[in-house]
Amino acid sequence: CQDEFLNRPPEDGISLDNFYSSEEEITASLNALYGTTWFNFNTKAFWSITELASGNARTFSGDVINFGNFTVTGDNTVLTDGWESLWGVIAQSNALINYLPERVGANVGEEVVNNALGEARFMRATAYFYLVRIWGPVPIVENSLDYVFSPKIPTNRVEDIYEFIERDLQFAIENLYVKNRGGNYADNGHVSSGSAKALKAKVHLYQEEYSEAQRLSQEVINSGEFKLLGVDVPGTSYADLFKTEFNNNEESIVAMQWTAASYGTGNAMQASFAISSTITGTGDGYGVIGPTIDLQEAYEAGDERRKATIMLAGDYYPEIRSSDGGYTVPEDVNAQNTKAGIKKYVVGTPQDNGGAGLAQATANNTYIMRYADVLLIHAEAILAGGASTADEGALQSFNTIRQRAGLGTFPSITFEDILQERRVEFAIEGEYWFDLGRINRQQAIEIISNQERGTYSNDDPPVIYSQTYTPSSEDFTMPYPAVDVALNPLLLEDPVPYEFND
Amino acid sequence: QNVVTGKVTTAEDGQSLPGVNITVVNGSSGTTTDIDGNFSLEVPDDASLKFSFIGFTTRTISVSSRSVINVALEEDIAQLGEVVVIGYGTQQRGDVNGSVASIDANVIENIPQPSLDQLMQGRAAGVTVTQNSGQPGAAVSVRVRGITSITGSNEPLYVIDGVPVSGDATNSATSGRTAASSFNGNGQTGVSPLAAINPNDIASLDILKDASATAIYGSRGANGVVIITTKRGQRGETGKITYSNYFAIQEPQKLIDVMDLPAYAKLQNDLAGIYGVQPRVEFINIELLGEGTNWQNEVFKRAFMQNHEVSLSGSKDNVNYFISGGYTDQDGIVIGSNFNRISLRSNVDAKLKEWFKVGISLTASQTDENITLNSNRNGIVSLGLLQAPDVAVRNPDGSFAGPPPNPSAVEGNINPVAQALSRTNTLVRSRVLGNFYAELQLMDGLSFKTEIGGDFGFDENNLFTPTYEWGRFINDNATLYQSNANNTFWIIKNYFTYKKAFSQKNDITLLVGQEAQQSSWEGRSLIGQGFVSNDIQTMNNASTLINADAYKGSQALSSYYARVLYDFDNRYGVTATVRADGSSKFDPLGDTQWGVFPSFSASWKVFNENFMEGVNKDIFSNLRLIAGYGVVGNQGIPNYLYGASLADVRTGLGQGYYVTNIPNPDLKWEESYQTNIGLNFSLFKESLSFNIEVYDKTSKDFLYQLPLPLYLTGPSGGESYLAGVGSPYVNLGELQNRGIDLSINYSLVSENSDFSWSSNLNLSHYKNKVIDLYGDNFDITRTITTGFLSSPLTRTIEGQPIGLYYGYKVKGIFNDETAFEDLPVQFDTPFSEELGGIWLGDIQYEDVNDDGVINEDDRTFIGNPHPDFTFGFSNNFRYKNFDLTIFLQGSYGNDVLNLTRKETSSLSRLYNNQLEESSDYWTEENTDAKYPRPKRGDDNSNLFISDRYVEDGSYLRVQNIKLGYTLNQDLTQRVRINRLKVFASIQNLHTFTNYTGYDPEIGAFNQDALQMGVDIGRYPIPRTFTVGINAEF
Repeated sequence: CQDEFLNRPPEDGISLDNFYSSEEEITASLNALYGTTWFNFNTKAFWSITELASGNARTFSGDVINFGNFTVTGDNTVLTDGWESLWGVIAQSNALINYLPERVGANVGEEVVNNALGEARFMRATAYFYLVRIWGPVPIVENSLDYVFSPKIPTNRVEDIYEFIERDLQFAIENLYVKNRGGNYADNGHVSSGSAKALKAKVHLYQEEYSEAQRLSQEVINSGEFKLLGVDVPGTSYADLFKTEFNNNEESIVAMQWTAASYGTGNAMQASFAISSTITGTGDGYGVIGPTIDLQEAYEAGDERRKATIMLAGDYYPEIRSSDGGYTVPEDVNAQNTKAGIKKYVVGTPQDNGGAGLAQATANNTYIMRYADVLLIHAEAILAGGASTADEGALQSFNTIRQRAGLGTFPSITFEDILQERRVEFAIEGEYWFDLGRINRQQAIEIISNQERGTYSNDDPPVIYSQTYTPSSEDFTMPYPAVDVALNPLLLEDPVPYEFND
Repeated sequence: QNVVTGKVTTAEDGQSLPGVNITVVNGSSGTTTDIDGNFSLEVPDDASLKFSFIGFTTRTISVSSRSVINVALEEDIAQLGEVVVIGYGTQQRGDVNGSVASIDANVIENIPQPSLDQLMQGRAAGVTVTQNSGQPGAAVSVRVRGITSITGSNEPLYVIDGVPVSGDATNSATSGRTAASSFNGNGQTGVSPLAAINPNDIASLDILKDASATAIYGSRGANGVVIITTKRGQRGETGKITYSNYFAIQEPQKLIDVMDLPAYAKLQNDLAGIYGVQPRVEFINIELLGEGTNWQNEVFKRAFMQNHEVSLSGSKDNVNYFISGGYTDQDGIVIGSNFNRISLRSNVDAKLKEWFKVGISLTASQTDENITLNSNRNGIVSLGLLQAPDVAVRNPDGSFAGPPPNPSAVEGNINPVAQALSRTNTLVRSRVLGNFYAELQLMDGLSFKTEIGGDFGFDENNLFTPTYEWGRFINDNATLYQSNANNTFWIIKNYFTYKKAFSQKNDITLLVGQEAQQSSWEGRSLIGQGFVSNDIQTMNNASTLINADAYKGSQALSSYYARVLYDFDNRYGVTATVRADGSSKFDPLGDTQWGVFPSFSASWKVFNENFMEGVNKDIFSNLRLIAGYGVVGNQGIPNYLYGASLADVRTGLGQGYYVTNIPNPDLKWEESYQTNIGLNFSLFKESLSFNIEVYDKTSKDFLYQLPLPLYLTGPSGGESYLAGVGSPYVNLGELQNRGIDLSINYSLVSENSDFSWSSNLNLSHYKNKVIDLYGDNFDITRTITTGFLSSPLTRTIEGQPIGLYYGYKVKGIFNDETAFEDLPVQFDTPFSEELGGIWLGDIQYEDVNDDGVINEDDRTFIGNPHPDFTFGFSNNFRYKNFDLTIFLQGSYGNDVLNLTRKETSSLSRLYNNQLEESSDYWTEENTDAKYPRPKRGDDNSNLFISDRYVEDGSYLRVQNIKLGYTLNQDLTQRVRINRLKVFASIQNLHTFTNYTGYDPEIGAFNQDALQMGVDIGRYPIPRTFTVGINAEF
């Protein structure tokens, strides 16, 4: 009786010791790796770091303006939010990797356990891939428990982090279920062995390991697991990729999985991107960023992707405010004085999305990787650092992307062609900053310093108030958040090699 | 022989005094006064009679052949609280071996403070009280002998008529949720857990300070125990009706000099030039501008306060009773804040048989408060300084105004008046707290007592954000956050007391007991959005329910205890206590669930020794030494940390579960080892008495949550709901507090009973130091988030006091272009005239670690929030029917980090008002400036937290002056009033300080020991003018 009186397990949650007893419980613990863990990264940090710094977008907004002019410090909370969110993904993945094997119920099959470990290692690799691209050297943590009493650990070398990512992805390739992406989108949400191959191809590309990148991207293409909307899937288009109803479509390789249940569980990007609350119907829609003049000018005439990415005056979107007959962008559209607004990831009112949607919470997924990327990786891997290529496979992959956008094909391609194509294909999806970060540094500085990041005046015709920034080489990695530097000054020291266990 | 009759009354108000001992000096006869204070005694003509009564000065009067002797006895200030409540019993003040400070109810009556924790400030040595906010009903920080826990609560345990109540406003050991929601994590909303108690019902406050005193409360007493005894009907008292009231006006103590419109316009024009933007057309002709809006006058107001209380008390046929009802209504001096309370109390004791007594204490109350956004850059107080004087409060149509809706005004601030009056955060707390007891006299000296106590609370919090359009600030979607919480606590105690005197010299009291207590909590919250009207704020009117949350939990504590009090010959005293506690906080499968905590103390009444007989008692007397040592446990942590739990979260793939914490199955009791040595003595016929105590309080294996970097946990603290894996709680390290409590009492001994005077000076000094934090693997950092910047604020490391301010040291302002090449680079920013470069007029920081660059590693300790000492000085004078009290209180040697000044002198944004003095900024013409050159953007190295913002927080406050007049009884009795007193007082008349902000008494942000003395728009404490009456029928 006495013992009972003093035994108070959680009454509103589940004790870890009673979990992982069935496949359903394991699936539920995997689901958690796709949503809220990513929230603080997705909400502001992701696009502030990538789109503002890369020159795709601009802002006056005090919280994130410093990303656009390369003056951000470790005190910036948006930066810290991104950092803590990515580490949250790693901590939760590690918890699963370390707790599951010793606690799993006896009647759960081995392949279920292996698949779960594969998903967790895939997610850990994904988070590290963002970390290494944003901050460069960071510590490799396989189990938080190892450092609980000695948290002051050095950062590890960039090459070791890539090695670590590759090992996780190789494990994922070997242990994840093999899938084929079909029309039942609900089945496509969790990553597959093919997802891991695709991501690993990209990781190799970043290290200029072209043959590996080519081999893996070719395998993914040959498998037919993924399909390109607007090309392989009849009746669809590039613009459909970003609609809620197309969550986990055939092109999606891995995505953050949002729901509009409450703050923290949904996609909050629309709140910042939409130019007015008319679009969102939920009171938010602050137009915190606008597409730079430079990005607006990056689109070739006739590129269908422009309208799916950027709103210009007079553009008509039937899917937004559909019950009112659609939405026409007003003449005075002027997010951050760019005479334009962001469209990508803007999905409209709850009614436009089957009733799902709250302020700062829409249900449309955020892509981490989609199949178009595999095709462009394939092309670039074949180019393999050369001046240009007319390789049939490379052209096939590259031109498919252009044709989907309604543009003409190229007879041969250079790296600059691929970089430009990647920019417009993935604008507002975070890719361009990482592409600029992996190419020749001097070339990247030159590209950025020539970008028009200024504003339009209100005159008719408008005059450009020009703004340009020239980053230094150090500006391509972000400062470590001050809160963690205060706890661990070793973050500022040189990275050390990582000792791999196996 | 002669029969003398007479009546004994109180000198203060002429009340009859029953039970006064009257003895014949050098004789053997004696008597006591009856219910009406009358006595009759046969005595020799030349005899002297000694009148003595606890709590009153003993008087000796020679009979001189008189047959009627009426005596008025003075209350003895030095003897106040003669009987001390020590927990599960009482003891004579002079016999207490542990450290106990007492506050008499008289000194805190009629003071316009709604909550009793505030009333303890400056009243007892060793008890440091700071008001964290001037918000009516806000939580205060009470520190008994320094700081015991680094990250846990440091508030003492309050025992109200036997029912323990935690002083922790954050409920960190129970639900972990504050009663009031915190405006999306911004601002301070801690409310006093004691606000339910009407201070007028209190008879005495006894504060147990050292381990030997608190040991009987075991693990819940680690931070000290405040025992509150409420008033009860007095035996022999006929029916008494009292009515008291006061009415008060409160006003801000001080306003700060910010720019008026012309000065502001000039600044905006100058800043536009510096920032390289177009100056505003409306500021072209400064001389045409009026004064503009004085926002401080708009956010502060004169506020009214009133208090009424009726009580009925008496005794008849072995039943005594005290029944009271009280009402307090306090409007805050910052608009949008107020507090009111209705309280009822019923205390009844009945002696059913000679051997059987029962009684009950019951109080029910409801408090209703409006909390305004404060202690934040976006709080009402901060915005009262920052809002631009060209922004009107209201538009011509009566609606609220705001900065203009053009993109260049993006840096402008929301209208604080609109915000305070429209965005509401209301909290209604209903509470029933009571204790029932039955006491059996089993045999001579042996009694058994059983007590059943309960504390039931229901909180309802509503936070409503309306739709609005205040200039560029537009909200289309009203939101209602509503939460309800139920808290249930019960305690059962059973204990035997055996009290016996042997052979005149040995006096022994034994206590053996058992108790069990359980606390459970549950709550729900809903968030609804989309309201048709801002006026109807109920959840059924929300068009969408955007979130529903629920929580539930409980904890239990089981205990056994024993205590021996032994006194030999009124010379040597010993107290030995042992208590064993079993706590549900620790793993039931492990062996750490139970902790045993012993304590021992002894005293020596040196003055009662034979060798002291030669000492002239008129000069020196009452010398006594005490010493004690004990161990107290602490288990004040959240539930189920010995295991890991999973929380649910919804995702696009369906329900998900994530791990919430890193478990620690080895978690065990924190132990605090406390030593106390004390000395007291009196001088000059006991008119001047001294009490000095020194202590050492060392917490070992203290419980705290490891301060892990984000790279090991993911989202933490307030954001841990975003699927962070919380750091484990561990037993680690060692923290020491050493200090001195000094109390000096003076009371004038005068034959002339028309005049009396007493004073009390108490000084508290503590010094705390972290002895061990598990090697140098850890240091604990608190960060502060203002706007979108989050900066380390305090840091705690081995060998230093906890919570020191952490930042850069300023060398000066760069003034010499030629020196740049030799100087260390700051923050990787080149010395350059280019935008973004560091150049003349910028702040030059010190290269603290001397490595040739200035970066985060050059942050160091820049200030100490701990005072060298705090003090209270109270003075009571009475002349005939007048009484006057003057109470001074203060703090010396503590630093304050004035971040309000940082924000109001930043010169980093347009559309923000600034301090008048900030116009003294660096330009090429003004190189000897106080402030650096303006730079746009808050993420700006000139504005890093540095010693520029550290100020001396010492102060001396004239906290209360009160004058009372008691009308002549002859006069008042004609209208059946036994006693009528009128009084007037001024609270916080003046504060002597060098601090430049509103008020140097900052306190701890939401009681956090690591965020002490940080002023970021703190709600200042008002000056209050009060008048009132106390009437007794």
